[in-house]
Amino acid sequence: MRREAAVSVQLALGLPPEAREAPCIRLHEVGVTFRTPRGPVEAVAEVSLEIGEREFLALLGPTGCGKSTLLRVIGDLTPPSRGQVEVRSGPAHAARQRNEFGFVFQEPALLPWRSALENVRLPLEVIGHPPERRAARCEELLDRVGLLAFKEGFPHELSGGMKQRVAIVRALAWEPSILLMDEPFSALDELTRNRLQEDLLALWAVEHKTIVFVTHNIAEAVYLADRIAVMSARPGRINAVLPVTLPRPRRPEMRDTVEFLEHVHAAREALGL
Amino acid sequence: MSDPDVQAPSEPSAWERLLPPALFLLFVLVVWEGAVRGLEIPKWLLPAPSAVVARFLKMKTLWYHTGLTVMEAAAGFSLSACLGIALSAGIVHSRFLERGVFPYVVVSNAIPIIAIIPLLTIWFGFGFTPKIMIAAIISFFPIVTNTTRGFKSADARVLDFMRSINATRWQVFAKVQFPTALPFIFAAFRIASSLSLVGAVVAEFYGSDRGLGFLVITSATQLQTDLLFVAITVLVVLGVSCFALFGRVERSFSAWQVEQGYQR
Repeated sequence: MRREAAVSVQLALGLPPEAREAPCIRLHEVGVTFRTPRGPVEAVAEVSLEIGEREFLALLGPTGCGKSTLLRVIGDLTPPSRGQVEVRSGPAHAARQRNEFGFVFQEPALLPWRSALENVRLPLEVIGHPPERRAARCEELLDRVGLLAFKEGFPHELSGGMKQRVAIVRALAWEPSILLMDEPFSALDELTRNRLQEDLLALWAVEHKTIVFVTHNIAEAVYLADRIAVMSARPGRINAVLPVTLPRPRRPEMRDTVEFLEHVHAAREALGL
Repeated sequence: MSDPDVQAPSEPSAWERLLPPALFLLFVLVVWEGAVRGLEIPKWLLPAPSAVVARFLKMKTLWYHTGLTVMEAAAGFSLSACLGIALSAGIVHSRFLERGVFPYVVVSNAIPIIAIIPLLTIWFGFGFTPKIMIAAIISFFPIVTNTTRGFKSADARVLDFMRSINATRWQVFAKVQFPTALPFIFAAFRIASSLSLVGAVVAEFYGSDRGLGFLVITSATQLQTDLLFVAITVLVVLGVSCFALFGRVERSFSAWQVEQGYQR
């Protein structure tokens, strides 16, 4: 089993053909060091990674391994201390200014005084989407995650899973081409999490985005991703990049197959568990 | 999906809430009236409630004095609210203002307000101006500190999201920070409005020939204790009304937040 894992790691380092042609996101020796009162802390060290167009990449690692920091570096919310980040052959900053990033965080981070629909509308207002088309777009998105009936509901009236769905479609509202998701389902119970994974895959099938999905849940990474970048902690670096060869569309029954479990096993080995 | 939040048990009706304190007040007034009559306490020492009411009904100029004081307090409070919110917005958006000016806002709270009334009288005379200024100064601190805290309590994730979609500073302020601060602002108004009333009255103690503060001082020096009680009662009613008014507005704006705001 160990040898098999090693083989798949080697395979993974060669990138999928589409990614080799035109990487959507390219990280070259990216490092992040935070200044703290107790001296500098290296959060991310020398990460190089290429993410293809319309690829679903999972960043898998233990808590505190710098995977969220890496995601923020890609989305230009945290500047890298070293190395380069390129998005579509330009700086990440320019991509953010073109509104190419849709962020989803661990907490839904909705505005409590806005209804579900108004929350989804927020980025359209900020970006300056034509006002007459805003409502239709928001309703279409809410409908796709089964929340149309709750469009007038305020966040405190919605369950945790509903709020996170609103947060996901909010990040899709203006059709950004890249979805950056920071442990979006980790605060949810398992049943809700599974439902939202299905919703996300269904959304991805329609709005085919490049997705970078941070998680510490091995099965979640295997079930959702095309490739899994496995990270280790202190400082955060990428141990291995594992391709997930499960066919699409993914089905809940696949979770019980031998192939699925082999992927889980390989990821666990790469994590050093 | 799981259920939407379960509704909290309904509040007791206004009748149920108001009846016990009303009964208690009635009890105190009856005992007071009985004690004054039974023990023959002189009127200048402690007038009976009936005597206070009689004086209240006879007092034709009461509304004139009350109107002046309310006007001064309202002007001072409004001035303070406008300047305070503007300064808080500046503090949140500028490191320089936060570091350079905010410490003095805190220091301003330590100014013994009574001691600067003579100074303001020297500068601005015996008219309305020093009264309005005292009302403004006394209510400034709670407005600035509370509003600043409100602006700063905006959800860091929401701010990240706004940054990720290139929101301008103004958009972040108008769509996130200001609405977040509203419950804090109304909590500040609740406290500041009653404080501004206190400020106006205290300012009237010093060199004034009208207003509720003037009424308090003259009735006390002339041992017109019944008039003193009338003035105090009006002040209490005004203070409680301010508190209740802004408390109501605050609640209506913070239905989504269970517990937030300023405790002094």
